[in-house]
Amino acid sequence: MIEIKNIHKQFGIHHVLKGINLTVRKGEVVTIIGPSGSGKTTFLRCLNLLERPDEGIISIHDKVINCRFPSKKEVHWLRKQTAMVFQQYHLFAHKTVIENVMEGLTIARKMRKQDAYAVAENELRKVGLQDKLNAYPSQLSGGQKQRVGIARALAIHPDVLLFDEPTAALDPELVGEVLEVMLEIVKTGATMIVVTHEMEFARRVSDQVVFMDEGVIVEQGTPEEVFRHTKKDRTRQFLRRVSPEYLFEPKEHIKEPVI
Amino acid sequence: MQFDFPFIVSAMKEMVKTIPLTLMMAVLPIVFGFLVALGNIIVRIFRIKGLVACSRFYVSFFRSTPAILHIMLIYLGIPPVADQVSSFFHLGWSANEIPVSMFVIMALSLTAGAYLTEIIRSGILAMDTGQVEAAYSIGLTYSQTFRRVILPQALKVSIPNFTNLGIGFLHTTSIAAIVAVPEITGTATIVASDNYAFLEAFIGAAIIYWVLTLILESANGVLERKAARFQGGTL
Repeated sequence: MIEIKNIHKQFGIHHVLKGINLTVRKGEVVTIIGPSGSGKTTFLRCLNLLERPDEGIISIHDKVINCRFPSKKEVHWLRKQTAMVFQQYHLFAHKTVIENVMEGLTIARKMRKQDAYAVAENELRKVGLQDKLNAYPSQLSGGQKQRVGIARALAIHPDVLLFDEPTAALDPELVGEVLEVMLEIVKTGATMIVVTHEMEFARRVSDQVVFMDEGVIVEQGTPEEVFRHTKKDRTRQFLRRVSPEYLFEPKEHIKEPVI
Repeated sequence: MQFDFPFIVSAMKEMVKTIPLTLMMAVLPIVFGFLVALGNIIVRIFRIKGLVACSRFYVSFFRSTPAILHIMLIYLGIPPVADQVSSFFHLGWSANEIPVSMFVIMALSLTAGAYLTEIIRSGILAMDTGQVEAAYSIGLTYSQTFRRVILPQALKVSIPNFTNLGIGFLHTTSIAAIVAVPEITGTATIVASDNYAFLEAFIGAAIIYWVLTLILESANGVLERKAARFQGGTL
């Protein structure tokens, strides 16, 4: 459904993305993992043109957008097909929870207020915030804010949901409540591209795992392929550092006969 | 010379009568200036060709020259032009019919517009760009984002600065005395010249300005608390 070809992005002399290709089918969950500075967040931001790639093509629904010189109309169109959940939530501070969720419906999609309210209320119920409709973002915990962020993205029924490290700014205890909500979304069959450091989440829900480092895709495949049958040394090194289980696995096998 | 306490009160009685006009000359320029500033901001934000340079010149000129000069320029400059226009179109009126306080309000509106442009601009600069990106990500256009997300928050953080300017302008109205508009300070001079009790009269004027400023400050407090509602009541 989405085909991304040869995305390049340079910040000054720093070449952040060196030709990224990715194909995402409808209903697929793609997780992008990698060390910080690998360009994974920049890549995600290129997908709704919050960051303008220096080169590259994004095709979605057979509509082809040349990212180098996209017209205003194309940018707007692409943003209407996608929705993003941010690491730092970025809720509209002067709007209540329900207004945050309604904004994309009433303003960008010209939906009638009553209809938008019903849709927003429904999405907020899904993320477990039906009793916080009239609260302001400043009155919520980090986990609640992120769930509003997710509801805001879900409400516009995008073709693809983009998650930019949605749990990275949260207390460990709050990570769970956000991941739970994301799991529910996975079950609905939504198309998702998730940049994350939650390896367990990536392993369990992804159809495709992409490991990026220094602006290129180093390794790509099913969770089984990437996590179990890792081919590249760089990937192995990264996985060892981020997931202790990976490190302890061999030891557990040795220990077993002793016990 | 004897210090004349009772005269403070009797001078104040005269000055109190001029409070409505004084407040009008302080508040109306802020209101009109606000509209001027919004126009400037829109020109700058949407980079409207040709007007950006005008806006920059306007702000630069009015912030670089004292308000008293703006009053003089308008007071001396507008009537001849207005008379020309009137006689050209046979409108049959003369600039003498325009009350002088109108010129003061016009001049101070332009002064306020320049300062308010910078105040709102700083409010916009203080805005967190993440919310702007969030607005784009759900499909809002640039102008929708500006109107719905950026401007309301920029105006809110500017409230203390608006009040600050309002208080400044209340005191600036005292220079309207030079074009013989009967406001507080001018009245103080007039009533005092009867018996040369200038010190008493100006003490009275100071008290009035102070009280008016206290009222403005408490109004600001109410406004800030209302605006801070979404921040959990703290600013």
